[in-house]
Amino acid sequence: MIEFSGVNKWFGPLHVLQDISLNVAKAEVVVVCGPSGSGKSTLIRCINGLEPFQSGSLLVDGTDLANRKALLRLRTEVGFVFQSFNLYPHKTALQNVTLAPIHVRRLGRAQAEERGRALLEKVGLADKMDSYPHQLSGGQQQRVAIARSLCMQPKIMLFDEPTSALDPEMINEVLDVMVGLAREGMTMMVVTHEMGFARKVADRVIFMDRGAIVEMAPPETFFTAPAHDRTRDFLGKILHH
Amino acid sequence: MIWFYLERIFGYWPVLLKGMGMTIGLSLLSLVIGVVIGFGFGIIRAGGNRWLSRVLGLYIDFFRATPFLVQVFIAYFILPVLGIELSAFAAGVVALSNMAACFIGEIVAAGLKAVPTGQREAAIASGMTRAQQMHLVVMPQAVRIITPSLVGQFVLLIKDSSVVSAIGLLDLTRSGWLIVQSVPNGLLVFGIVGIGYFLICYPLIHLSRRLERRSQTAFL
Repeated sequence: MIEFSGVNKWFGPLHVLQDISLNVAKAEVVVVCGPSGSGKSTLIRCINGLEPFQSGSLLVDGTDLANRKALLRLRTEVGFVFQSFNLYPHKTALQNVTLAPIHVRRLGRAQAEERGRALLEKVGLADKMDSYPHQLSGGQQQRVAIARSLCMQPKIMLFDEPTSALDPEMINEVLDVMVGLAREGMTMMVVTHEMGFARKVADRVIFMDRGAIVEMAPPETFFTAPAHDRTRDFLGKILHH
Repeated sequence: MIWFYLERIFGYWPVLLKGMGMTIGLSLLSLVIGVVIGFGFGIIRAGGNRWLSRVLGLYIDFFRATPFLVQVFIAYFILPVLGIELSAFAAGVVALSNMAACFIGEIVAAGLKAVPTGQREAAIASGMTRAQQMHLVVMPQAVRIITPSLVGQFVLLIKDSSVVSAIGLLDLTRSGWLIVQSVPNGLLVFGIVGIGYFLICYPLIHLSRRLERRSQTAFL
């Protein structure tokens, strides 16, 4: 579904993605972790063209990312969940969820709302359909944001530190929704430091540092027998405190 | 004596009314044109094309940095030299709406830039075209931010419209000039003219304040 081969990206002199090669299969769940500034967010932002890159190739669902014209269509197939939710503050939860289906997918309003209500119910927000984002807690906002992406019926879901901006007691309500998605067979790439989530549903865990993929392994190997010192270091920092 | 003058001034009420009508009509028409062009200016100024934005910025700065009276003279006396013949009314509308567009353009650009980038990114990620990002996501939020200053700008526009009396348009200010010819009490005449402007502008100032309070709590 997602095929990076030899992707390089620079921010000015900063080499933020170094020769990234990576294949993600359909229904696979890949967790990406690493210290801040390691390029993990940049990596998944490339997948829906939020960030351009300078060399290498990236195929997503058969579409070449170099083809800027196919990008609009591709983005409708790729859901993206942001760290800071980015809900539309002037729209209710239901309007947030149905906006793109109506205007981008050209779905009828009634059909879009039916789909939107079902999804908001699914993420446990049946009673918040008509609330505005500022009336919702962080966890609720992030669940609306997930429903908003799902309402486009994407083939791939990308999560950029979806729980990092949340109070601790709200993290699980969001992770539960993501675990459910993973179990339904959604293709997912998740940038997160929630290692419990990685253990539970990830097929592979990637450790990135300074723009490069340092280690990539199934979770049991990754957590019990990491091959690199840098991975061990990092895991030591985030797991024992 | 004051009563005598007042009576005579109010004898001229058709002139005053006509002047007030001209002030309102001229301002309203210029306002509509200025808002339409101003939003276009704002989108270009906040948009991705740097070169276009700079050229437009220079144009806007020219009109922000020259006295409005001079701009009215340009429209009325200089454009005809270039072959564009304008009636006093048309010249007034051109000068006023151009100036309004310049100020509104900068307000709109500031509003667009004040919308967090995450909003545009969310819209991009959902597959929206540039036009959809603008009219479904970014512009509605920008409009909420700028509405109070926009209404404030309308007040300035109405007051600035008095300058067009210099090219002979019979607006509220000029009706004062006419009346003062036969009623030699400037204080009284222009007091009444001032009250006329106040009656038009005061509700707008109030509105602007109310919107300001509302927009501060809009997204909290």
